[in-house]
Amino acid sequence: MTPAIVVEGLQKAYGKHQVLKGLNLRVNRGETFALLGVNGAGKTTALTCIEGLRPYDGGRVQIQGKMGIQLQSASLPGSIRAIEAIRLFAKWNRAPVSAPLLEALGIGPFARQQYSRLSTGQKRRLHLALALLGEPDILFLDEPTAGLDVAGRVSLHGQIRRLQSQGKTILLASHDMAEVESLCSRIAILAGGRIAFTGTVAELHARVGRQYNITLKTDQGTERVASENIGETLLALLTHCRERGATILDIQVDRGSLEQHFMKIAGEECK
Amino acid sequence: MNLRAFFYGLLLQWKLDIRSKTLLITCYLVPLLFFALMGGIFTAVLPDAGDTLIQSMTVFGVTMGALIGLPPSLVEIYGSDIKKVYKANGVPEFLGLALTNISAFLHLFIMSCILYIAAPALFGAQLPPKPGLYFACLALFIAVSLSVASVIGLGVKDQAKTSMFSILVFLPSIMLSGILFPAALLPEPLAWAGLAFPATWGYRLLAAPSFQPETLPPLLLIFLGSGALSFLLLKRTLD
Repeated sequence: MTPAIVVEGLQKAYGKHQVLKGLNLRVNRGETFALLGVNGAGKTTALTCIEGLRPYDGGRVQIQGKMGIQLQSASLPGSIRAIEAIRLFAKWNRAPVSAPLLEALGIGPFARQQYSRLSTGQKRRLHLALALLGEPDILFLDEPTAGLDVAGRVSLHGQIRRLQSQGKTILLASHDMAEVESLCSRIAILAGGRIAFTGTVAELHARVGRQYNITLKTDQGTERVASENIGETLLALLTHCRERGATILDIQVDRGSLEQHFMKIAGEECK
Repeated sequence: MNLRAFFYGLLLQWKLDIRSKTLLITCYLVPLLFFALMGGIFTAVLPDAGDTLIQSMTVFGVTMGALIGLPPSLVEIYGSDIKKVYKANGVPEFLGLALTNISAFLHLFIMSCILYIAAPALFGAQLPPKPGLYFACLALFIAVSLSVASVIGLGVKDQAKTSMFSILVFLPSIMLSGILFPAALLPEPLAWAGLAFPATWGYRLLAAPSFQPETLPPLLLIFLGSGALSFLLLKRTLD
């Protein structure tokens, strides 16, 4: 796989507080990669250093392609109209104002509205449009759905999937596990200033989630059992139900949520 | 330099300034109302006031428009996430400073032209003897005033503090410049303090019947000093 982003030994400190302690990352071309971490873990610092918006103290960053950046906290002058901002940024990037792009992002209905009157979702879509104007190969999205309602999230996830289908490389910082699980091919967990885990969601489950959680609901009550040996445990539970003459209503087996695994890894690293 | 983008940005900034009530109030409404009110009073109380009415009202308007009108626009850009969006999307970071200054310059020049035309018609004010020289000096004075305003806008990070600093520079500028009463009437320490403000030198430059070269070095010094300070503040803001 050709890498689009390679980060080696990235270090960054704010005064005496070392936020990044040698971060290593490799994002392949065309993949959607999530950088996870609890609040204050340094996701935004890492992203802005990789994007070149913030100087870093040590290490190496290599970007292979044109970048588009959507910042976590972004703003524009309150009285600028959405379409004026798009035209301004398009001219600076010597790029055309792409009508299909505006249509896909649903900019049209609020194109002539002033920035201060846009909803959070409309602002996010506008900033995503600005990031996409220069037709980037690599897209950085920092908490793209933070503050959005359900409809806004669904709409933005649709846009991100559309970009995935176009072969864009996407590096996404988030702490929304459901978003990450549904959008990203690989994840990295940032904890204690370093990458504590890199791999697919399935690999994370395999590494942390060796234990199965079994919930058995019968007409006599609900039993919850955690076990590493699912076969033997299930068999024992069913035998026990038959012996008691209980009727089984529902059986659920899961390996723990991504959220639980994330917290386990992040928690171990921060200890 | 992408000139097409720059001129589009300038046109856009011009429009944004017109939409911004702060700039309309400080660059047009208050200076022109002040002129309408004080022009009548000055020329009624002091018959000689008509000789320097255009210059004194222009110095008031430019000082107000620059010091109180420009800094909020700069704080909006450089005291917020707008500067990061510019940087992230390939727009030069100095653009906000350049465009707001040029646009404010044009607005202040237009306001000064309105005073130049209206004062003789309304109050029988005397026109400057050499219009070409007058407007060249006016351009210099506006540029110097905006450079001081830029230092305030880039140096202070929130709107409330910016207003306070702007007023702290604006009030002594007006009181000590000689536009309301002759500077010779001021106590000596205050007269000396007045020399630190561009309004004092601007008024001397504009009101003199002939070109006064000794007023240029202080104005240029303030301009260069403010320019250098603005550069450093801009760099600090972006780091």
